[in-house]
Amino acid sequence: MEKMKKQRKWTPLSVIGLLILILFAVICVAPFIYMVFMSFTQSTTLMLHLEDVNFTDFSNFEYVLGRDGFLRALMNSVIVVVCSCLFNCIVSSMAAYGFAKKRFPGRNAIYRIYLMTLMIPGQVTMIPVFIMMNKMNLLNTYFSLVVLILNAFGVFLLRSFMDSVPDELLEAAKVDGCPEYRIFIQIVIPLIKPALISLVVFTFVTSWNDFLWPLVSTTDSSMYTLTVSLSLLKTQYATNYGLVLSGATVSFVFPFILYVFLQKQFVEGIALSGIKG
Amino acid sequence: MSRKNKEALQGIIYILPSFGLILVFCIVPIFMSAYFSFTDYNIMNPPEFAGLDNYVQMFKDDYVTAAVKNTLLYVLMTVPFQTIISLAFAGFIAQKLNGKKGGEFLRSVMFIPVIASAVTAGTIWRIILSTDGGILNNILGIFGIDPVNWLGSTSTSLVSICIVAVWKNVGYFLVIYYAGIMGIPKDLYEAARVDGATTIQQFTKITHPMLKPITYLVVTLGIIWSFQVFDLSYQMTGGGPGHSSVTLVMSIYNSAFKQYRMGYACATAMFLLVIIIVINLLENLFFQEKKEAR
Amino acid sequence: MKKKRVMACLLSGAMAVGMLSGCGGGSGSGGSSDGGSSSASTELNFWFPTYAASDGEMTDEEFWEETLAPFEEEHNCTVNVEIVPWDSYEEKYLTGVNSNDGPDVGYLYMEMFYDYIDMGAIVDIDEYFTDEEKANYLYWDLGNIQDGQYALPVVVGNPRLLIANMDILNEAGITEVPTTWDELTAACQAVLDSNPDVAPLMQDWGNPHYGSLNEIYWPYFWGAGGEIVDEEGNLTIDSEAGLEATEFIYSLMQNGYVPSSATSNDDVLEPFKNGEAAMIFCASSNAVQATDINWDFSILSGPADTKTFVAADSLVLFNSCENKDLAVELMKYVTSADVMSQFHEKLSDQPPITTDEEYAGDERYTDLFTDEQYTAAFQSLPVFKGASSLYDTFYKNLQSMMLGEMTPQEVLTTTTEYYNENLK
Repeated sequence: MEKMKKQRKWTPLSVIGLLILILFAVICVAPFIYMVFMSFTQSTTLMLHLEDVNFTDFSNFEYVLGRDGFLRALMNSVIVVVCSCLFNCIVSSMAAYGFAKKRFPGRNAIYRIYLMTLMIPGQVTMIPVFIMMNKMNLLNTYFSLVVLILNAFGVFLLRSFMDSVPDELLEAAKVDGCPEYRIFIQIVIPLIKPALISLVVFTFVTSWNDFLWPLVSTTDSSMYTLTVSLSLLKTQYATNYGLVLSGATVSFVFPFILYVFLQKQFVEGIALSGIKG
Repeated sequence: MSRKNKEALQGIIYILPSFGLILVFCIVPIFMSAYFSFTDYNIMNPPEFAGLDNYVQMFKDDYVTAAVKNTLLYVLMTVPFQTIISLAFAGFIAQKLNGKKGGEFLRSVMFIPVIASAVTAGTIWRIILSTDGGILNNILGIFGIDPVNWLGSTSTSLVSICIVAVWKNVGYFLVIYYAGIMGIPKDLYEAARVDGATTIQQFTKITHPMLKPITYLVVTLGIIWSFQVFDLSYQMTGGGPGHSSVTLVMSIYNSAFKQYRMGYACATAMFLLVIIIVINLLENLFFQEKKEAR
Repeated sequence: MKKKRVMACLLSGAMAVGMLSGCGGGSGSGGSSDGGSSSASTELNFWFPTYAASDGEMTDEEFWEETLAPFEEEHNCTVNVEIVPWDSYEEKYLTGVNSNDGPDVGYLYMEMFYDYIDMGAIVDIDEYFTDEEKANYLYWDLGNIQDGQYALPVVVGNPRLLIANMDILNEAGITEVPTTWDELTAACQAVLDSNPDVAPLMQDWGNPHYGSLNEIYWPYFWGAGGEIVDEEGNLTIDSEAGLEATEFIYSLMQNGYVPSSATSNDDVLEPFKNGEAAMIFCASSNAVQATDINWDFSILSGPADTKTFVAADSLVLFNSCENKDLAVELMKYVTSADVMSQFHEKLSDQPPITTDEEYAGDERYTDLFTDEQYTAAFQSLPVFKGASSLYDTFYKNLQSMMLGEMTPQEVLTTTTEYYNENLK
């Protein structure tokens, strides 16, 4: 116990460490504070003058949301993210269950293919996928924006959890006459809930931040996602910094609110992937 | 139906949706991409076989060679820094601030850049880094430092993008490292302390080796993300000035959607794939060896 | 019992499929512009670029919605207007033209024509117009490209001018806007000496799009007597004239006339409006926005010639259009004196494109658009293979030169080599 206390003592070196840590934390939030403050000003200069900030003046937001279809883009992003999360969880957990608990010919071979696809970045397959979607007339649809979120990672993450679900439990349920789909939905799914949350967090972050695919696959401005709309704002209003930053604020505030409320899930989800992955 | 057959059928049904989609949207496109890379294809007219032309041209193309160089530099400038910084911070918080509100608060604050999309981050930093009147140059001015042309000069544009990337990624890897450190059994440290090990020794002898799989993950993810970088550079500099911040993915995008050369873009994409596979293999080898050496 | 289990399996399997089609279905109703073929005959997709000023009273969408309403009523059809931002213009057209949802009537600039004609994406419109109608268009012949009437010029104007803040110039002892290269350097030096806080000449070398060449390169290039391509379509930028112009531009930065921050600047108008730049090259319709500045303009002469860039952008009819007659009606409607005068008044100050429209824009430009002395200097870009890719590469190399990484000669040689190897 004595030694423990000694370890925790603050030496000059560790005080410097703490200061560095705090400094970095400040650098992490300062740009966002700058962004929010600037979005409440009408100035075209870059320095933040506190006397210009007027938190009751929402005109930048009104302008961006109203005129530039940001509201539509926000809605698109929300739809795409929600669909992506649901879709990825359902499809991946089914596949993970199949791989972990069912024996079928070719299982290991297929799983090995899955692992190999983990290495393939979406940018490599982007052009053929674009051509395919184009031929199938699926560009400019939510489907094309959602379906590409699926990859082997979800299956990989969930499977390691599925493996830890005891076979005896499933057997017992089967003996009790519980139908297969209920075993999956009512027994397995609740047991892997932490992993599912982790997957949701991942899917959320990936899907919300996705830029390149929406950029190439949407030509119809009513299908733009927030990232695409924001990137266009930069050139259209190059020097109206308040306006550009209010667009950035809109795209930031939604995931931020979610993060504030689901902070634990965010952190746990990512930490989990680190340990299991 | 026998029990075995039925189980097999069930298994296949469970994986079918996922496998079907991965087949259609990931595996088949790889082969299509490989095929297109040997053709001239502008999407409107059918592809024409062109042999190795695209590959030969690619290595003579300034745009692509600059992209390869920049992407490699980007990896070298981000991965080591974000790995070391996040490990150091995680170690510090775990040791000095563990269980304290302050530590938790710092951790969640550093995670904020992770939540913002690269486009959002790029938008903000582009404005912060403006040369004339930009807030960073103003702050530096207080300390008597002359304005730096952050995004407008060849020597600093890529570096600026890398700094923003590190800024954005540290929080993510910090969380992973922190969880890893928390997972190391406490009694290992107790025993080390009884043996009189210093903090540094504890780190090199216990923390670091125990975290090896996590470091592997952090480095792998870091490298893969770096090779895919596009958003930040697109948003902050558009690849410029000159070719100074063009990345591989940007050169794919450029050939495909600006120059209408799908075949050529596919050749570049195949090249990217090969690089990623080689790096993965090398890295596996490297971490494997270390494991054996221990 | 067994049956039930099989059913259960199928059900859970179908769940994912249902999910999939659920999302797909959602998109059908969610996406506003629908490409349904059954309704295509009474629906047109009209693509037009952004012209409205960012702080203007009207957005492009609002303008076209209002303007096209009578047309929609008259022809009992729907026109879906898609405003395409300049920033990713070519990408959007490429993806759009190839999708079902692409434009029926679009707007292309000269750099884009070769590729679209080559791909067979746009249609010769000659047969749709009567001789009388043709005669009414001032620039009908400009639309004759690659042996066909592929284009209907709609914005011919926006000449790039040298705009000067006269208050700053007067302070430096210069009374007239420079008209030659020597006068320009002299004026820059005078401003540099008298007012060190002001950038003598601002250029937007930080713009990610090569469109900036139209202001900051081609006027000098043509002024030195350069030609971009010869009659056979060979690239001829690597010439004495090209070198002279490129070296001159390089010297502007070397001598500090163009500030080093220009390489990160992507909007010259803003510093000009704020009085931070003495001179800029910009499009005539943009200069009008600098309402607080006492400015005047000139067309700069080079050692060999007096030329400046003028836009020659056209409406085009896409091959994929299912109701070409209606689409041509739309093209005629958009280019009619009525609509165009509205467009010029509300969105962008441009000279008329038909004989029956009067110029009613900024008075300072009346001479500019009518006097032979000025109009003879207007030059638009040639149509040739890989034009936009060439400009992109050339622009990037010039940026490197401005940063001191390439010499003017290297820029011209490398760009020409690149073009001949990759784009020709």
